[in-house]
Amino acid sequence: MQKITPLVKMVDIEKNFGAVQALKKVNVEVQPGEILGLLGDNGAGKSTLIKILAGVFPPDAGEIFFEGKQVNFLSPKDARASGIETVHQALSLVNVMSISRNFFLGREPTKKIGPVNLLDRKKMDEECKKAVTGLGVRVRSPHEFVSILSGGERQAISIGRAMHFKVKLLILDEPLTALSVRETKEVLRQVEKAKESGVSVIFITHNVYHVYPVAERFVMLDKGIKIGEVYKKDASPEDIIEIIATGKMPQELKS
Amino acid sequence: MKEVSDNLKTETKGQVLSFSQIRRWPEFGVIIAFIILLTIFSIFSSKFLTLRNITGILTIVSELGIMAIGIAFLMIAGEFDLSVSSVYALSGFLFVTLANKFNSPLAFIITLALAAFIGFCNGIITLRSRIPSFIATLGMMLFLRGTLLAVTGGESVSYKADAIMPSLLTRYIGYGFRPSHIWFLALTLIFSMVLTNTRYGNWVFATGGNKEVARAMGVNVNKVKIINFMLSSLMASLSGCIVISRFNLANASFGTGMELEAIASAVIGGTFLTGGYGTIIGVFFGAFLMGMMRTGLVMMGAPAYWYQAFVGAILIIAATINLKLRRLEM
Ligand SMILES: Nc1ncnc2c1ncn2[C@@H]1O[C@H](COP(=O)(O)OP(=O)(O)OP(=O)(O)O)[C@@H](O)[C@H]1O
Ligand SMILES: [Mg+2]
Repeated sequence: MQKITPLVKMVDIEKNFGAVQALKKVNVEVQPGEILGLLGDNGAGKSTLIKILAGVFPPDAGEIFFEGKQVNFLSPKDARASGIETVHQALSLVNVMSISRNFFLGREPTKKIGPVNLLDRKKMDEECKKAVTGLGVRVRSPHEFVSILSGGERQAISIGRAMHFKVKLLILDEPLTALSVRETKEVLRQVEKAKESGVSVIFITHNVYHVYPVAERFVMLDKGIKIGEVYKKDASPEDIIEIIATGKMPQELKS
Repeated sequence: MKEVSDNLKTETKGQVLSFSQIRRWPEFGVIIAFIILLTIFSIFSSKFLTLRNITGILTIVSELGIMAIGIAFLMIAGEFDLSVSSVYALSGFLFVTLANKFNSPLAFIITLALAAFIGFCNGIITLRSRIPSFIATLGMMLFLRGTLLAVTGGESVSYKADAIMPSLLTRYIGYGFRPSHIWFLALTLIFSMVLTNTRYGNWVFATGGNKEVARAMGVNVNKVKIINFMLSSLMASLSGCIVISRFNLANASFGTGMELEAIASAVIGGTFLTGGYGTIIGVFFGAFLMGMMRTGLVMMGAPAYWYQAFVGAILIIAATINLKLRRLEM
């Protein structure tokens, strides 16, 4: 349609794990300031696709363009440096570390004392506390170890962290599992807020009803194949469920 | 578990240390043990708390402790290094030989450089082959020790060179104190500072705590591990140079089994065998505890063999307590 450069363009992405073909020639685009819902059953390849984008591992084949330029992320550090922030399904927090140390992991603020750069621990604690409380989670202290937190609290902290840093693309892999109703609302509100500030979001979930109110476009995967792609205006949540269940796009939605 | 700690916390709030604070203060156990042993030894031996004895203990503790700091720093990043005792012996030997031929500062620098290279190899072997570092460095330990014994034929060499490095490392500076005591203290403070108050320290904790997460958060975990392998080797090498400068003699069998004493110091000091957690101050006291037991038992009239038995018992207790603490975290 319009000729704006997509923020992300993944072309013919393939990935195999031994005999398992996790992704087969998958093409996905994300427009600037757009919330994209990425849907599919267990093992569809959703996490694998975004791990490639986040630099966790490289694709076996295919190309990735970010802001129009071809990129080749060798590590998550590269992806992060380009402005891609990810909340992974499982890989988000170190249990035997405090909340604030986790929050700033890889991006610790420092202050110069004499000739050396030391951690600005006061700033870490304060900012961490503010960001997490903003998501409606009460943490007793940023010094608490992550291991004693509940699943929902951990999730909220990973999301709070992703939202805290100014990024261009936010990837959320099943962010609502283990969250309470109140926390779910808060996360969805934050996602919309991120979008309003110009951030693109890839939102992965099993539950169409979670993402339907906030997303404007949906991509469906099944067994490593992209089976469909619809705009919200063209499909109801039930249509999307139908597509995932049957594994193909109905004729009238194809364009 | 969570409710329990919450309750404890509210009950004791503002009065004494809350349970949760103690739990996250891994030096706690070792400092208590340190005070208990100190009391026992001072009661049973009137000579224990003399300046001469204390500085004597400090000398042994410094040499072991410098090695233990390096090992602990690596253990926190989630890897082991058993080759330190061999690096220690090799370094001593190389240092003496090179100093006799050239001069001691040059010998010292070359020795440290070689140690750093050995540490680098340990890291590369562990990461590339994906075998556990416990095995990789066990191999390195046997390889280095065997090579050293074969090359030297078990002969000792004595130090006949200048006094520059020996004076900087270990020659008496008065009242029984030696520079090695200062090195140990300084290195404890530096490593402790790096671990708790720098970005690198945060990466070390994260790498040992969960390497996948650390990587996903942009930490170069392989680099952290290799640097820590190199530091471990460097510290062992420094320790070797200090000992050899004190004895003025190097032998290929020096320091056999010392890697276990160093690991014991680290574990007694609260370092997790599983990585991700520990403190350098704890290691400082852990090494002290070991040195104190060694002299204290002898002064109490026990045969020296009891030292090993005691270390073994304390090690088991310390590791058990560490594990319990870790369970509480879960
Ligand atoms: N590291 C890995 N090694 C081997 N196989 C893997 C690996 N990661 C994923 N797979 C396989 O690839 C396929 C896709 O997995 P992926 O995690 O991407 O699915 P998903 O769509 O995220 O599923 P879920 O909704 O359950 O999270 C699965 O068959 C899975 O078993
Ligand atoms: Mg997944």
